[in-house]
Amino acid sequence: MGKLPLKWVVTGNFTADGSVAWLRAGGEFGHQLSEAQLFETKDAAEAARQLVLGAERIVSDPYLTEVGVAQQGLDALSARERIREQGPSVRVRRPDPSVSR
Amino acid sequence: MYHYDEYDRRIVEERAKQFGGQVERRLSGEIKEVEFKPLRLQNGLYMQLHAYMLRVAIPYGTLSTKQLRMLAHVARKYDKGYGHFTTRQNIQYNWPKLEDVPKILEDLASVEMHAIQTSGNCIRNITSDHFAGVARDELEDPRTWGEIMRQWSTFHPEFAALPRKFKVAISATPGIDRAAVQFHDIGVRIVENAQGVRGFEVIAGGGMGRTPFIGPVIGQFVERHDLLSYLEAILRVYNTYGRRDNLFKARIKILVNALGADEFRRRVEEEWAFIKDGPLKLTDVEIERVAKQFTPPAYKKLDAADTLLDSYKLGKDRDLARFVQNNTALHKVPGYVSVVVSLKEKGTPPGDMTDVQMDRFSDLADRFGFGELRVTHTQNLILPDVEITQLAELHRELAALGLATANANKLTDLIACPGLDYCALANARSIPIGLAIMERFEDIDYQNDLGELNLKISGCINACGHHHVGNIGILGIDKQGEEFYQLMLGGSAGHDASIGQVLGKAFSRTEIVGAVEKVLEHYLKIRASAEDRLIDVVRRVGLGPFKEVLYPPPAQKGAVHADH
Repeated sequence: MGKLPLKWVVTGNFTADGSVAWLRAGGEFGHQLSEAQLFETKDAAEAARQLVLGAERIVSDPYLTEVGVAQQGLDALSARERIREQGPSVRVRRPDPSVSR
Repeated sequence: MYHYDEYDRRIVEERAKQFGGQVERRLSGEIKEVEFKPLRLQNGLYMQLHAYMLRVAIPYGTLSTKQLRMLAHVARKYDKGYGHFTTRQNIQYNWPKLEDVPKILEDLASVEMHAIQTSGNCIRNITSDHFAGVARDELEDPRTWGEIMRQWSTFHPEFAALPRKFKVAISATPGIDRAAVQFHDIGVRIVENAQGVRGFEVIAGGGMGRTPFIGPVIGQFVERHDLLSYLEAILRVYNTYGRRDNLFKARIKILVNALGADEFRRRVEEEWAFIKDGPLKLTDVEIERVAKQFTPPAYKKLDAADTLLDSYKLGKDRDLARFVQNNTALHKVPGYVSVVVSLKEKGTPPGDMTDVQMDRFSDLADRFGFGELRVTHTQNLILPDVEITQLAELHRELAALGLATANANKLTDLIACPGLDYCALANARSIPIGLAIMERFEDIDYQNDLGELNLKISGCINACGHHHVGNIGILGIDKQGEEFYQLMLGGSAGHDASIGQVLGKAFSRTEIVGAVEKVLEHYLKIRASAEDRLIDVVRRVGLGPFKEVLYPPPAQKGAVHADH
């Protein structure tokens, strides 16, 4: 598989509950990577990050990360960002034995 | 167990209210994250990958059933219906909302619990031997001293901003260490001198993480009345000379290693001379005041029942036999045993417990004990006071809750940190590796054949999963955004402390379990007898034979390691 074209996005965590936030076009944050605004360069993404730092009430510690642009959508490039995007890879709460047995 | 006095109650309640105000200001935007972060960390609140994480202190690992029911309530009402017991005898909640945290702290305060000093560069929750107070082989209950140290270290104004976090553990059994005291910033051993006088051997500068060290003994014999002033002297030397210019070199272990134990000891003694006879001198009245809180419960006068214990092990009910064989520990009172309740059932992240399990387990701890339980640093629970005659009934009840896995001190009784599934610091996932190992080696007869053996997994170099001291250690690393795992052998957190050594190149996620299997196969092949433990074999033959199995020359087939 060839290398994907790379773009930059701005991400952080919502202050209210710590859930993963992605900067969308228009300056709002959403929960889906697929909705994230893509920046061609790191400098452009950093400029956007500086703007949203003023809105840090909503999102804490925004930072930049690269994503791959594939035909079927955006690919987080590291294990860390994939897990941030998709949630824990293990079952969050086991079923209680009395229910499952 | 210890119950709060008016002072304890007030500071915990006031802290919860104070944090409520800080949260309001953060949510309103009055303060920014950079200002809020140190405040939340002082209340055990981290920001993880997907949510906040709240770490609640369980001092020296002792819990009442009233407290466990409250932990269940918190899990149910404010989180996702479970909690995660940690390698510092604490519990973590992985999904609280920020606005709920002050309410959680108020609920916890109502049962004498809190999250104070479970994070930040301060003295953290003091840990202890999980069999404290009931172990047949201990000199005395170390929790009295754990509590004395807790009171001294809580909100200690001089040590609120240390160079780095500071962890203390205490143990009271000669020649046996169930609290990993040699791997703590300070490890305290209760000892008896040649005259039969009790005192403390004080170790400083141990630790895991990026630079693991076995701590040297700094105080050979510290008298009982001098414990706090001696600890204060150590902390003062660390606070004065510990590095603050480099996060990775700021722990006390770096200072002790740089100065050498003798020079560090000299500085401690010099400082101690100023404060030894000051207000930190413990009086007999004060020691007795705290010790009274750990008065043993009203045990029945029972027959020793050792024969019955043996008959369980030989009985036809093989599940019960394995459980009694592996998950019970000798008790100081005849007719009783302590029971290890494994939180390592196949398919369950190590240390996780649901709210329903917590509630029902509380009922069992009331019925089969005195309403008290323990949390171990190996992420299990202990029922400390079980009548031997009730073991079969208890086993049935635990099995119904999915809590009767008979693997204590065996391969699948493994430690795993939350890893990259939750932790913002992690480089790789730990829990899925642990689950895969638990599944692959589920057969308890195979595990019994392997004998006493521990495996510990960390998702990064910070070593919350104690990989350095696993007989088998696994360390998750990041290679260009992908997860790989280093395998190491030869670690021990016990009295015979040792630091594991890396075998070679890291394995991929799909290779690591197979690599562990090859190590185990080779161990079984070369051990001298069933009593010849893996750690003994590794110490005797070194890593060489295991490297040959894992990394055969290119011409040989069957290597589990792929080139990368």
